[in-house]
Amino acid sequence: MEFWKQLCLEHGISPEGILEDFATDGTDRKDVFFYQADDEHYIPRAVLLDLEPRVIHSILNSPYANLYNPENIYLSKHGGGAGNNWASGYTQGDRLYEEVFDIIDREADGSDSLEAFVICHSIAGGTGSGMGSYLLEKLNDRFPKKLIQTYSVFPNQVEISDVVVQPYNSMLTLKRLTQNADCVVILDNTALNRIATERLHLRNPDFSQINQMVSTIMSGSTTTLRYPGYMNNDLVGLLASLIPTPRLHFLMTGYTPLTLGTEQNGEVDPTQVSHYHPSPHPTPHPKHSGTRDSNFCYISILNIIQGEVDPTQVHKSLQRIRERKLAQFIPWGPASIQVALSRKSPYVQTAHRVSGLMLANHTSIVSLFERTCEQYDKLRKREAFLEQFRKEPIFKDNLDELDDSRNVVQELVDEYHAATRPDYITWGTQKASKQSTKA
Amino acid sequence: MSLLQVLVPCSAQMAAQNASVQNSPAALLNQLVKAVLNEDEGCDVSQHFQFALRIISSNFAPSVEQDEFHVSEKIKRKLAREGRESDAAYFSELHRKLQAQGKLQNRWSILYLLLSLASNQKDEKAKPSSASIFGRGLPNLATSTPFVPRNVHQTPGISEFSSGSNVITQSSGIGSGISNISGTTPTPHSYAPGYLTTPGLTFAPNPQSVGSQLAQMLVGDTGSKTAQSKLVPSSKVQRSNVTKQGMSSSPMEENTSFEVTEEVIVRDLVYVFQGIEGKYIKYNYSEDAFRLDSQVGIPRPTRDLVHKLAELGWLFLKVKKYVEKRSQDKAFGLVGQSFTAALQQELTEYYRLLAVLEAQQQEPEDGFEVNSASALTLLQLNVWTFDPLNRMKWLAILVDGCKNKKGGALASAIHSYTFHGDGSVQKLINHILKLVAFPLRQMMDKWIYDGLLADKYHEFFVAADPSVKEEKLWHKKYTLRKSMLPSFISMDQARQILLIGKSINFLKQVCKDNSPITGKGSDDMVEKYSKYENTEIFLDKDFDGKFQKVIDKAYQDTSKKLLDVLHQRFKFLDHLKAMRRYLLLGQGDFIKHLMDLLQADLVKPAQFLYLHNLTGVLETAIRATNAQYDDSEILDRLDVRLLELSPGDTGWDVFSLDYHVDGPISTVFTPQCKILYLRVFNFLWRAKRMEYILTQVWKDQMSNARLLMKEIPELSPLLHHIHTLAAEMVHFIHQMQYYINFEVMECSYDELWKQVNKATDLDKIIAAHETFLDTILQRSLLDNESQKLLTQLRVIFDLVVQFQGMQEEFFKVSLEERERRRKDVETIEGRTEMGEWGTTQLEEEDKRRLQQEFKKNFIPSERAKLKVLAQTLQDMVQKFLVMLTSHSDDSLRLLAVRLDFNEVYKAKEPKLRSPEVYQKRKKRVL
Repeated sequence: MEFWKQLCLEHGISPEGILEDFATDGTDRKDVFFYQADDEHYIPRAVLLDLEPRVIHSILNSPYANLYNPENIYLSKHGGGAGNNWASGYTQGDRLYEEVFDIIDREADGSDSLEAFVICHSIAGGTGSGMGSYLLEKLNDRFPKKLIQTYSVFPNQVEISDVVVQPYNSMLTLKRLTQNADCVVILDNTALNRIATERLHLRNPDFSQINQMVSTIMSGSTTTLRYPGYMNNDLVGLLASLIPTPRLHFLMTGYTPLTLGTEQNGEVDPTQVSHYHPSPHPTPHPKHSGTRDSNFCYISILNIIQGEVDPTQVHKSLQRIRERKLAQFIPWGPASIQVALSRKSPYVQTAHRVSGLMLANHTSIVSLFERTCEQYDKLRKREAFLEQFRKEPIFKDNLDELDDSRNVVQELVDEYHAATRPDYITWGTQKASKQSTKA
Repeated sequence: MSLLQVLVPCSAQMAAQNASVQNSPAALLNQLVKAVLNEDEGCDVSQHFQFALRIISSNFAPSVEQDEFHVSEKIKRKLAREGRESDAAYFSELHRKLQAQGKLQNRWSILYLLLSLASNQKDEKAKPSSASIFGRGLPNLATSTPFVPRNVHQTPGISEFSSGSNVITQSSGIGSGISNISGTTPTPHSYAPGYLTTPGLTFAPNPQSVGSQLAQMLVGDTGSKTAQSKLVPSSKVQRSNVTKQGMSSSPMEENTSFEVTEEVIVRDLVYVFQGIEGKYIKYNYSEDAFRLDSQVGIPRPTRDLVHKLAELGWLFLKVKKYVEKRSQDKAFGLVGQSFTAALQQELTEYYRLLAVLEAQQQEPEDGFEVNSASALTLLQLNVWTFDPLNRMKWLAILVDGCKNKKGGALASAIHSYTFHGDGSVQKLINHILKLVAFPLRQMMDKWIYDGLLADKYHEFFVAADPSVKEEKLWHKKYTLRKSMLPSFISMDQARQILLIGKSINFLKQVCKDNSPITGKGSDDMVEKYSKYENTEIFLDKDFDGKFQKVIDKAYQDTSKKLLDVLHQRFKFLDHLKAMRRYLLLGQGDFIKHLMDLLQADLVKPAQFLYLHNLTGVLETAIRATNAQYDDSEILDRLDVRLLELSPGDTGWDVFSLDYHVDGPISTVFTPQCKILYLRVFNFLWRAKRMEYILTQVWKDQMSNARLLMKEIPELSPLLHHIHTLAAEMVHFIHQMQYYINFEVMECSYDELWKQVNKATDLDKIIAAHETFLDTILQRSLLDNESQKLLTQLRVIFDLVVQFQGMQEEFFKVSLEERERRRKDVETIEGRTEMGEWGTTQLEEEDKRRLQQEFKKNFIPSERAKLKVLAQTLQDMVQKFLVMLTSHSDDSLRLLAVRLDFNEVYKAKEPKLRSPEVYQKRKKRVL
């Protein structure tokens, strides 16, 4: 919920939801994420859901407690959480469907021109993944014409997780993310932690710090919506250029300069930013070491640069990237680095004049899925830890859902691999012909 | 000296004198004369009476102390000369007593009368010459009577001038006096005899010659006039001719014997100096110069010298004629008047000289001893007139140089002579220039401080066109009149001056702002104002110095004021921002919302659009988006405008936003500018529409793919094709949009913003704004060079629209198919549930046939359509890229780079692979 804190700061809204005096004549669109309850109060268009009270209680005890519409904070009466079990979360989602969608419908009705849903969740635990998956499916059914964007936190895959069924959870969620979401911004805990330690020199990054990074990215990726300019004033426009085919909608992010709050990480030369930023190599996140396929390439890149920037410099750095072939692009269609300029919030003082956020659709994201698949396959082979799942209705009869998910993810992996090849343009036809021959 | 002083009030005297004749004093006088003369009643005393009248009337003239002394001295000298020293002493004693008593008012006149009577009595032979003394002493009457007509037509206002002309008439006055008194043939022309007398005929009273003299005089007069009027412009040449002739040309029959005394020649010369022919020195038309009568016996060197000196008279005449002519000319203007005044001043100086010369020349004659040693000699004359001659020469040159010129041009002409190497000449001309420039200076002051154009005669270098209305005041009303630009003001300064006054007028008339311009009202400025009244600063050699500073100061003050008013009261910058936000689609959310709302309307044919509906929509869009936070003043100006319809147009083609401007702001946003804005808007609107279409296409794909992929698997290759094609289009349009956003809008707007904030005057803002528009036009492919490109781009845009339609159709059919299958499944399930056969043979067949049809017909046809579309798109894009790479504008070539960043098209299009070669070839063709 650092995200809302960040938004409040950027829009000049106090923790109580009251517009600060200095922010009255802004050119920002506060109504993207807030609505005005009365003359004074801005209320986030947010629904907070959890199956256990811990996180929400911490929010309710924070200075921002009064920001949210209390009716929009939904806490399962059951209160026991989902026990890190996807299936449990999913089932509870089903059970709480009516209540939750009452809230969501109300919010949706209250929005003038609802364009999209944004879901923030983790795919490792039970609630985020299970209930999140359920919500995804239902939102899709209920609002087939609305976009769904998710910010999905991928678990730390390097270390052994304390949640043993994490691979199952991830796999099952991934299926929904592939099929029901229009855009998934992947927040890789592994990478985030690494950045925190390596680049920000934090020895033991805690949650709030990681969350702050996440909120920076989230707010960054929405600046063009909130500070309307010539382009990218709606999510569709933003995503349309990033996502060429429906399934290749997993985006990576990068952000420079990465800082936490008031902490300064040294002054960054703005020219450096424009050059540094779009090039893939120093992209801090979530590049993985040991990518197997050297043909990984960018499907699309969007750089959102906030603050004062000289357009000619941006242009120069684009030229440089092209000349030095710093970024490799898909061979099957036109692609390029897009640069969107956006205003910076006048209310937030940062150490840097310019900051840049990169949203990239890069085929190397597939390695993340592959690793998930590997871990899943290890567990699945042994049929380990499946007891909890079998208890839930969805797995009562069989474990087909798991295998189905595995297939969907495999298809996704295949498609990403295909997208690195020039013949991707005819990819579907080949597949179809294969299928037809099989049939 | 005395001549001048006496003559000034002559016209007043004249009236008095006329009156006195009618009244009893005249009769009394008549009686007195008779009594004195002891004549009988029948005797004709009119001559004497007139003489007496003259004497008496001279009393009316204010006597001058000096002259009384002079006369008394003369009497004393006379007495002394006659050996009556004691009488002289007695006279001086009496005179002193008289003076002390102060009862007698007209001492000088009485003394003069006495003196004259004495000399009259004394020497009958000297009568004529003594008469000349009378003439000198009684100028008023002599001139007043005969020269009435001449005096009347002269403008009394120009006192200097009239006094000048009086000097001339003076001499003939002398003559008239003489002839009246000495006339051996007393002609009864009592009151107006002056006409019939020839000036200067003092020595040989020639009764026979009255008629011929008259003729001579008239000829002389008109002759000189015509001579002047036909003056050839290159008078320098002429004059050199004259001098040459004067020096060398000597007619064969030229008499070189010593027949005429130097004294006579000098006298003649003094007349000539006044522009009047002497006895021997006549005006020669063929040579256009004063020449000695070749028949008169005068030695050659004297002749040459006289000719040389006579040039002065010629020059004088020339200048005088110019002055006379010009001072009559009402349209000559203030500068011209200053010029004539300056010349007049010089002439006055010259008259002073003449007076001195005349005095010198006549001095010895007072003694009635023709003593050539004490008289003025030719050589003396030569020396004394050397400087004046030079001066007069330059005046004549100026007169020639300034012929037919006026105002600033006149000043320029004079200024061109100031670079003369001779210091004295330079001084003279500078002096004249100063006087001439004075009205210009005043006009300029009025102009740059009050914005007033006090220029009745079109002399100033700023011209106003009164027919121009307020809205065009800045652009059209005031212009530089280049012909009137004085050469001592540089073009830049002139422009600056023009700008200053224009700004003031703009403030007053267009901005309706009458508050004082900062700095001007302060004491400091007033002081400066008066200090700069003098023209010296104007002509300051150091042009970067004071004068420039004055202009700069006024320029800064005025421009600052103007910009302040523009920015603060008229919110220029806000309007500029509004233009960008609305007409250049900067306010993206508003534009998007507007499109959302208008979409349904705009696909209709253009003639079904109604302005009032659209305005309503506009209002809604404003209220729903961030535009609502804008100043209401700005929002009120925002309006919808429909372009001219042409058949087949849809709403998209004719819809346009409009932004009303008025008042001072419209000076920057002129109607022409607005047309350009509308053109740009149209282009951007189209591009935006493409983006809008594609996002919808994409959205449809995303949501439909989910449904179709699963349920109609055979569609997936087609879907994939659609996706990639859409992706290509999205890429193209988005890059195009980014290009527009970046290179077109941001960069040029950034520059504009900088320039506008830096601008020191309105002109600079206008210029920056025009550059901005030009850049945008050029980069938006709206200029001539890019016409083909634009057409090509339109083709691509059309493909996008076509694709949208196709996809819509495709999805519609596909979704129907999906729905049908779904229903089938449902009915089967339903029937199964009810325990029936899921499907019948017939239905199964029907289903299969339909599916087959879908598979066999729909899919291949769609695939074919897609293929064609994709191919066309690629061809068109490639063609577009090829055109771009050979474009002259850098940023457009960079657009090509942008559009083909990963060189996909380059790989396909050979022409793109070697753009340089292509370019070269193109150049060769050109």
